[in-house]
Amino acid sequence: MTNVEITTPRPVAARRGSAAAVLGSGRLLRIELRHNAMLWLLPVAIALFWYNGYREIMALPPMWNLRAMTLQNRLLLDLAIPVTGAAAWMGSREGRRNVTDLVAVTARPRWSRQLATWAATTAWAEVACLACVAVVYIMTARQASWGGPLWWPAAVSAAGVPALTAIGFAAGAWFPGRFVTPLVTMAVFFGLGFGTQAATGDHSYWQVSPLTAGAFDIGAAPGVATFYPYLPDLSIAQVMLTVGLAVAVLGALGIPVARMRWLAAVITAAGLAAAGTAVALAGTGRLDPHGMIAIPALHDAASDQPVRYAPACSRTPIPVCVHPAYAGFLPAVTASVGPELTEFAGLPGAPDRISQVSAVYRQEPGNAITVGGGIPSATAFLLPDEVPGRLGTTGAEFAAQMDEGLGLQLASDIILGGHADSNPSQAQLAVIAGSVRFPPSVESRDLAPMYGRLLPQPGSPADLAARRFAALSPAARHAWLAGHLAALHAGRISLAQLP
Amino acid sequence: MTAVAVRLVRLHAASRRLPAALVLLAACAAALRGTLYGQWDSYGALQLPLIFEAACAAVVAVTAGSPFGEPERATGRWLPFLRLGAAVTLTGLAAGALAAAGAGLPLAGGFPDILRNVAGLTGIGLLCATVLGGPLAWTGPLTYLLLGLYGLYTDWHPPTLSTPWIWPARAPHDLGGALCAAVVFAAGLAAITVRGARESPGG
Repeated sequence: MTNVEITTPRPVAARRGSAAAVLGSGRLLRIELRHNAMLWLLPVAIALFWYNGYREIMALPPMWNLRAMTLQNRLLLDLAIPVTGAAAWMGSREGRRNVTDLVAVTARPRWSRQLATWAATTAWAEVACLACVAVVYIMTARQASWGGPLWWPAAVSAAGVPALTAIGFAAGAWFPGRFVTPLVTMAVFFGLGFGTQAATGDHSYWQVSPLTAGAFDIGAAPGVATFYPYLPDLSIAQVMLTVGLAVAVLGALGIPVARMRWLAAVITAAGLAAAGTAVALAGTGRLDPHGMIAIPALHDAASDQPVRYAPACSRTPIPVCVHPAYAGFLPAVTASVGPELTEFAGLPGAPDRISQVSAVYRQEPGNAITVGGGIPSATAFLLPDEVPGRLGTTGAEFAAQMDEGLGLQLASDIILGGHADSNPSQAQLAVIAGSVRFPPSVESRDLAPMYGRLLPQPGSPADLAARRFAALSPAARHAWLAGHLAALHAGRISLAQLP
Repeated sequence: MTAVAVRLVRLHAASRRLPAALVLLAACAAALRGTLYGQWDSYGALQLPLIFEAACAAVVAVTAGSPFGEPERATGRWLPFLRLGAAVTLTGLAAGALAAAGAGLPLAGGFPDILRNVAGLTGIGLLCATVLGGPLAWTGPLTYLLLGLYGLYTDWHPPTLSTPWIWPARAPHDLGGALCAAVVFAAGLAAITVRGARESPGG
């Protein structure tokens, strides 16, 4: 006897019903897309981003890390008001127009209709968000000297949009009064913009805010995610939070629907669990030495390997090599320390080339973070985070930092023969001071800690000798040093013997 | 004031949800006071009052919407005065409530700053009510809020926005900023007095 499996064919009416439901949902979504307040607020959203965010982002040096992290810090905040406002407006539509009872008798449950409206609002908001990201990334791709797009900051911004629309939509749907839209918009903006004020240190739960692109007190810095890959740990937690919030709020919208109460409650609980987990994970973060927040549970050890790159080097007597992302600053570096490079090239103890090294970041109490340069030497230097164009830093300020750092390091290493901790002679101090050309913006209070150790006291005989030495051309100084450096090291040169 | 006049004012206030608006203005002031007890960095301390000023202005602007439209306009000659009185009274109360909320606490800018910003933002809101309708009148003050916050931000990060039309970024006693805010407030009052809020389905 054989078993005969009898299958009942699905009724044609049911299949037609499913297809009709899908078609109907598509038609409903299309109608909502065409009659959505967010469509009208798209120009406002884009104009706000252009005014507040885009101009500042594009004024930054063309480095992917700087621009992408600043984009994450700005974009969602600029979109918060139009997006939340439009969502609240759409959410309150049925209540405002007193048609709640009228549409309650339609075939679709209220939750389904609300989700279609929310989806349409979110779709237009995402169009604005992604358009802003695209413009910034396309412009950066045309200008950057190295690297590629950082997608995690863009993903956090894009994931934050549904959360904004969900909160706004739900508030509008639950309280459809005329004051609700502006008030919920203000509340969301306030929470988003000022939510990180209470944050302290790298273990703060508040860094889960989707506007936080890195450690507090560093933010978007050139040294972060340049020598090492961009760590997605914090971004993953932020995406979890925003997606979890959106799911929880949208699930809560369905709880009043009798037939779907349990499903909605489960969805809400899942969303809240995801959001809560994200907050807890953010609280376990720590600042890694490369300036990014690492979360142990989300961390991939492979991300700790340095990025491979071919350095960009100058054609100076002593080549200066920088990470290719900094290639745009190489002319400024060589312009600021060019005379020193000419003067010291070929002298005993002078390096064959000078290479940029990565900064080392360390969390201090509160939000303070120290930025160190590893092992300072004549062959390695640290480019300051305050590069021209960042936070209003000018070329003159950058040159001053380079002279105080690289220029002085190079001169002291060669003149003192690598014994910077020894007690230098007045002639050695005079030669160091005469070799390093500080721009006029460097004030004596900036140099005061180095008086007597690396530089002569102002007005002293050594200072006068330094001025005399500085008046020579770099080639003349080089020629004199070539003949007298050994004697200078041995302390056999007096101030009077300096040219 | 006759009983009829009192009743007229009361009905006008009720139709514009003025009691609810007063509660919300008081809530904004209380929220400002609550936040002033907190620890804020320089950005927060300077930008915080503007958030609440914009919220108050949005509330005042939203009350401009009429649920009656044409029938109300046909009823008499007092309507423009009622609109003017409601707008001026609420603006004054908003500024007063926020100033009282900051009393004894480090409120950046003080009363001159509050008065200028609330008046200017309310003017923008009233103009929006005339053009877009009462329910959408909040879009103006809230959009301008972002511009104002950015203006304050550029006080630290040059190039500074120097135009007086971004008055929140100007010093509290700056004449140019105050004049611009006053012009916008006057324009908003004139528009809402003469034309009223644009009719919209939501009232």
